[in-house]
Amino acid sequence: MSETRETRRAASLPRQLAWTAGAVLIIAALVFPVYWMAVLAFDDSRSILADTPVFWPRQPSLDNFTHAWDLVAGNILISTIVALSVTVITLVIAVPASYYLAQFRFRWTAVIMLGLLVAQMIPGIALGLSFYTMFAQAHLLNSYVGLILADTTYGIPFAVVLLRAFMESVPADTLAAARIDGSGEWRVFIRIAVPLATPGIITAALFAFLFAWGDFLFAVTLNGTGAVQPVTVGLYKFVGTYGSDWGGIMASVVLAIIPASVFLILAQRWLTVGVRTGGMTG
Amino acid sequence: MSTATEVVTRRSAESTGRAPRRPVARRRLVSAAFVAPLVVFLLVFFAYPLGLGIAMSLQDFDVAALVRGFGDFVGLANYVDVLKSPVTQAAVVRTVIFTVLSVVFSVGIGLAIALYFNRRFPLSRFLRALILLPWLLPTIASGTLFKIMFADDGLVNKVLATLGIIQQPVPWLTDPTAAMAALILVNIWAGISFPAVAFYTGLQDIPRDLYNAAAVDGAGRWRVFRSITFPLLRPVTMIVLVYGIIYTLKVFDIVYVMTGGGPADGTQLLSTWAYTESFTNYSFGGGAAVSNILLAFSLVAASFYIWLQRRSARV
Repeated sequence: MSETRETRRAASLPRQLAWTAGAVLIIAALVFPVYWMAVLAFDDSRSILADTPVFWPRQPSLDNFTHAWDLVAGNILISTIVALSVTVITLVIAVPASYYLAQFRFRWTAVIMLGLLVAQMIPGIALGLSFYTMFAQAHLLNSYVGLILADTTYGIPFAVVLLRAFMESVPADTLAAARIDGSGEWRVFIRIAVPLATPGIITAALFAFLFAWGDFLFAVTLNGTGAVQPVTVGLYKFVGTYGSDWGGIMASVVLAIIPASVFLILAQRWLTVGVRTGGMTG
Repeated sequence: MSTATEVVTRRSAESTGRAPRRPVARRRLVSAAFVAPLVVFLLVFFAYPLGLGIAMSLQDFDVAALVRGFGDFVGLANYVDVLKSPVTQAAVVRTVIFTVLSVVFSVGIGLAIALYFNRRFPLSRFLRALILLPWLLPTIASGTLFKIMFADDGLVNKVLATLGIIQQPVPWLTDPTAAMAALILVNIWAGISFPAVAFYTGLQDIPRDLYNAAAVDGAGRWRVFRSITFPLLRPVTMIVLVYGIIYTLKVFDIVYVMTGGGPADGTQLLSTWAYTESFTNYSFGGGAAVSNILLAFSLVAASFYIWLQRRSARV
């Protein structure tokens, strides 16, 4: 019976290939804007000004990248520093907290989980305006510390919710056995819980990094005088200053999306986990 | 999605996962250290700013107040002022239209993509991964990319002209109506990934046996969709819709980079208008009032979301 079912469900090879062709078209339409961006970035700017649309680089060149790199290299360094710091802080706070919320009896767990869910839904501008006032008082405007702290608000609620799901699957018996062996709470946490939750920790780290890297709102709000301008702000300024240099702008966009692209290629598995859990847990 | 297993593990953790004999107070203290930083973080970077936002919206909060840290209490005057302003009124309407159209189309397209990919064919895994791309890109990068596509002499106008659809270039970014259309299109694009992935997961969770039974009964494709797929996807659909609303209400970057809320405040959403009130008009009290109005929309949607989740968890 099960065999007939299988044969009925499995489509013939030509049919399957037809489905592949359709899927290629759908995905091509979806990612076309990104492809077109690459065309402009790798093309000599002059052919862009032609009246008929250009769909492939006519005069491939890296000149746009030379110009873009000169202008946004500093911003990329700043983004890297900020995003790495945010990732570290996010993990330091979220990993132990998620372990505790998953494995310990705590009166406030339900309240905190609800708070974390709502925290992810608050419009950034509502926080940004208050951060501006708070940081003006604390002399944290135009500073790395200020931007890093603000950017952790993207990653931490997400990371705790995600990691708690992983921490819940750590068998309580294993933890109890380690405690009976005399291990302290921190040792149990580091030796048993952290290794078992590693896939979740990787996902949380990737997203904390991507969220911080992509932040524009806090960067533009909290850095009015422009001491700490990440790549998103650099890109915005580039458009404002050299609005007609499309090739250069697109080359900067390519530079700005490097982390997202690298993660998509190398860490797809973990990103999918994140997208699914990020929206669906609570 | 795995609610049942979660409940089981949590219960077993509660019954057996307690630390062994040791002074209770000390044990509590050690374990509280796991969660204390998170609690402090939530209080300082979420609870306090939200409270401060309410306080600022009730004060005459100008630049001088910013230096002092507080302004004169004016009651609800900021709310009255911003609600009387035609820009705010238009921004409310625009935010609603922007959100509804973005969500309806991105969820609809996401569902269509998920249904298409809900079968086996060569390369499906690789192609499915690419669906994530619009969602992963920094929104400022997508906004910049589309700003150039929608420029007067940009690709969109060139293609439309080549196809003979338009004679004159459409002023995509300088006419308020055309600009809103462009912004909505870009936001739909940026919003497809999440519903597509969520629906795909939902479809994979539907037991194969149901489809087999329907095939045995000789049910047609449409019948199968209406009687099996659609009803079983309903909980996911509700959650995706509400999540989409919440996500779209937050949108700021795309509008800021593509139109800056202009021309003449013609594309201001509540989020960008709150920013403009604060940093262009230097009315931080008014900006806070606008952002609290936006926050109220988000919180209504959030409550609905939580209610939906509770309900689906109970079933």
